[in-house]
Amino acid sequence: MGQGTCPRVPVRKGVIALIDVKNLTKRYGEFMAVDNISFEVKEGEIFSLLGPNGAGKTTTIEILQGLKIPTSGQVSVLGYDIYKEEKKIKEQIGVMPQNFNALERLSARENIQLVADIYGKGNKVEEVLELTGVSEFHSKVYLNLSGGMKTKVGIGMALVSDAPLLFLDEPTTGLDPQARREVWDMIEKLKGLGKTIMLTSHYMEEVERLSDRAAVMINGKIQTIGEISYLINNYGGHTKLTTRKDQNTAEILNREAQQVFEPSNGEDLITGVFDNKQSAKKAVIALYEKDYDVKIVEPSLEEAFISLSGSKINEKGELVS
Amino acid sequence: MNSLFSLFKALTKNWLRSKSGMFFSILFPITLLIIFTAVFGGQDDVQYTLYIQNNDTTNGEASELSEEFIQGLQEADTFNLIEVEPGEDLKKGLSDDETAFEAARRGLIIPEGFHEKSMDKITTLRTGTMQDSLTQLKEEYGEYMTEEERQEITKGMEQMKTYPQDMDAAEGASITLLINEGDQAAPMIKGALRGVVDTFNQKAMGIEDSAVKVESESLVSENLEAVDYYLPGFIAAFIMTNGIIGVTTTVTEFKRNGVLKRLAATPLTKVKWILANIMQQTLLAFVLTAIMILIGMILFNVRVFPDIYAVGFILVGAITFSAIGMVLGGFIKDVEAASGAGNAIAFPMMFLSGAFWSVQMMPEYLQSIAEVLPLYHFHQGLINIMILGNPGEALHHLLVILGFTVVFILLAFKTTRWKEL
Repeated sequence: MGQGTCPRVPVRKGVIALIDVKNLTKRYGEFMAVDNISFEVKEGEIFSLLGPNGAGKTTTIEILQGLKIPTSGQVSVLGYDIYKEEKKIKEQIGVMPQNFNALERLSARENIQLVADIYGKGNKVEEVLELTGVSEFHSKVYLNLSGGMKTKVGIGMALVSDAPLLFLDEPTTGLDPQARREVWDMIEKLKGLGKTIMLTSHYMEEVERLSDRAAVMINGKIQTIGEISYLINNYGGHTKLTTRKDQNTAEILNREAQQVFEPSNGEDLITGVFDNKQSAKKAVIALYEKDYDVKIVEPSLEEAFISLSGSKINEKGELVS
Repeated sequence: MNSLFSLFKALTKNWLRSKSGMFFSILFPITLLIIFTAVFGGQDDVQYTLYIQNNDTTNGEASELSEEFIQGLQEADTFNLIEVEPGEDLKKGLSDDETAFEAARRGLIIPEGFHEKSMDKITTLRTGTMQDSLTQLKEEYGEYMTEEERQEITKGMEQMKTYPQDMDAAEGASITLLINEGDQAAPMIKGALRGVVDTFNQKAMGIEDSAVKVESESLVSENLEAVDYYLPGFIAAFIMTNGIIGVTTTVTEFKRNGVLKRLAATPLTKVKWILANIMQQTLLAFVLTAIMILIGMILFNVRVFPDIYAVGFILVGAITFSAIGMVLGGFIKDVEAASGAGNAIAFPMMFLSGAFWSVQMMPEYLQSIAEVLPLYHFHQGLINIMILGNPGEALHHLLVILGFTVVFILLAFKTTRWKEL
C-alpha cells in the first residue's frame, strides 16, 4: 500500500472501469432483488449505492464480491469475469461485509492477522493496525469492542488484503455520530492512498460527503446515477436564503430571487428562492455588505432523493413518506 | 503462513478461550467419567444391604442350623447383614422405613422351626441315599458276601423303615426373601442367595467338596479393572458428542453471526474451511483423550495406554464425527435447531452403540441397529486395540469407519454453503 499511492493496479491492461456491470439481475423466486441494473466504477473513485433497506444494494455488492450468483447479466471486476474468474477477483479485493463478525474471542490484532494470512499478506498487519487506529486497542478481545472499534477492525480486515479495490457494505450503520465521523475520516484517508472504493449506505450525509459518484437504488432498480453535484443540481431543488425582513432585504431578494415568501411561523423573516447559484451569490453579497445575517439552505442529496423517490429514508434505513 | 493452518490456529484459540465450550467438551465428560467410575468401577467390592430376621430361636438362642446358615451368608461376602429382632413384622418395617433407600429395603426371614424342618429333610434324604447305596451294594457285590453280612444289611434296611412315617413327607425348610422387583440388584442378590443355599444343602448332605468348580481366567494379558473397560467407551462417546453436537452448534453460530460470510469473502476456499474445523475438533479429541486417560491413571489406577494403533483410530473417529457435525452445520440455519438436532442424533447413538454397556444386553433388533452406527465401530475398535490387544480385529471396524469418513466428508462438502449465505 505504501505511502501516498497505491501500487499500480494489477488488473488486465486497458481496464479503466474497475467494475463493469451490465444488465445485472438477481431473482429469488418471484422476487426481483436486483432488476436489470448497469453501472461502472472507475479507478480511484468512491462510488456509492444509495438506497433504503431492501433496495438490493447488498445483493449487488455481494455479487461483485463473488458471494452471490447473478441470475443474469454481465459483471466484470478488475477486468475479470465474475462467472469464470471469481478466485482471481477474491484475491484482489478487500471486503467489509454488512453486519459482519470476527472470531469473538480473538483479539482485534489476531482477527486482522488471520485475514492477512489468508491473503498471504501477513507483513501488512502492522501497517494496517496503524492506519486504522486499531493499534490503540489491538490486544482487546473482539467481543468486548465498541461498535466503532469493531468497524475499524472490519475496515482493517478489508484493507489488509492490500487490494486496490475495496467494498464497504454499510460501514457506519448503527454507529454513533462521533464514531461515524471517525470512519468517514478513515475512508477519505483510504481514497488519498489511491484506493478505489465501492460503498453502500442509506445515510445521505455519508454518501454526499464521501462519494464522487452515486447511484440511487430503490426496489432493485437504479433510479439515477451520476456525480454527487449532478444529482444535487438536477434533483436537489433550489438554494434558499432567509434573513430578517425589512425594506432593504425585501428589495435585494425581490431583485435577485425568482420567488420570495414570508415564512408563516410569525417571525419577522423573509425567504428568497433561487433557480441558480449565480443570483443567489449576488444576493448573499448584497446582504452581507449591509451586515445582515443570512441563513443559506443549499440543495442537498436528501432533497434530490426526496424528489426522485417521493420518500425519505429514516435513521434505520427504512423508506418513509 | 498457510491459510489452512492459520484458520486452524485461529479456531483453536477461539475455542480454547470459550468457557462454555471448555465445559461441555472437556469438563463435562470428565465429570461423568469420575462419577461413573466411582459408582460402577468398584463393583467387585459391592455389598448389598440385607435385613435378616432369625425366628428360629429358643430363649433368645439361635438354633444350630439357622446360625450355620447365617454364617454361610456372612462368608459369601456379598451381603451387608443387619439383624432384626425375631417377632417384628419385617415386611411392614421395610415398607415403612423412610430412612432406608428404596434399594436397600430387602429382607430375609428364617422361619420358626427352620432347624427342625431342615433336620427332618436331611434325615429323609440321607436315609434315602443310604438305602440306595445298600441296595446297590447288595445287588452288585451280594455274591461275594457271606450270608451273615447279607443278613446284617437286610436287618439294617428293615430298621430304617421303622422311622416315623411322616418323615417321608418332610418338606424341608423355606426361607423368605423380601425384595422389591424393581430393585436393580435383585438378580445379583437372588443369585448370591442361591449360592449360599446350595452350599448349605451340600454341607447338610455331608458334601464338603464339589465335583465341579468354576475358575475364571482373564482374557487379557494384564490384570485390568472395570474402569479400563469404561474408558474407551467414554473416549469414543465424547469424541462423538463433541463432533456431532459441538461442531454443529459452533458452525451454525459462525453462519448466523456473520463470521462465515466474512471468511467466504476472502480467497479462503470451502475445502479449507471444512478441513480447519475438522482439524480443530481432532485436536480437541486428542486433548480430551489425554486428559481422560490421565485422570483415569491418577484417580482410578487405569493401566491402559493408547498405542500407535489407538492414536490412529482416534484420529479417524474424530474426523468422522466432526465431519458429521459439518454436515449438520451446513444445512441447519439457527443455533437452537443445531443443538437440538445434534442432541437428537448423539444421545440415541451413544446409548445404542454400547459405549456404556455391552450391546449384548440389548434386544437383537437393537443390536442390529448398533452395527450400522459409526460409534459402535469406533468403540469396538478402541476396545480391541486398547483392552483386548487385538489390532487385527479392530481392522474390520477401522474399514467401516473409514467408509463413514469418506461419506460424511463428501456430504459436508455438499451441505456447506460458501455462497448465498
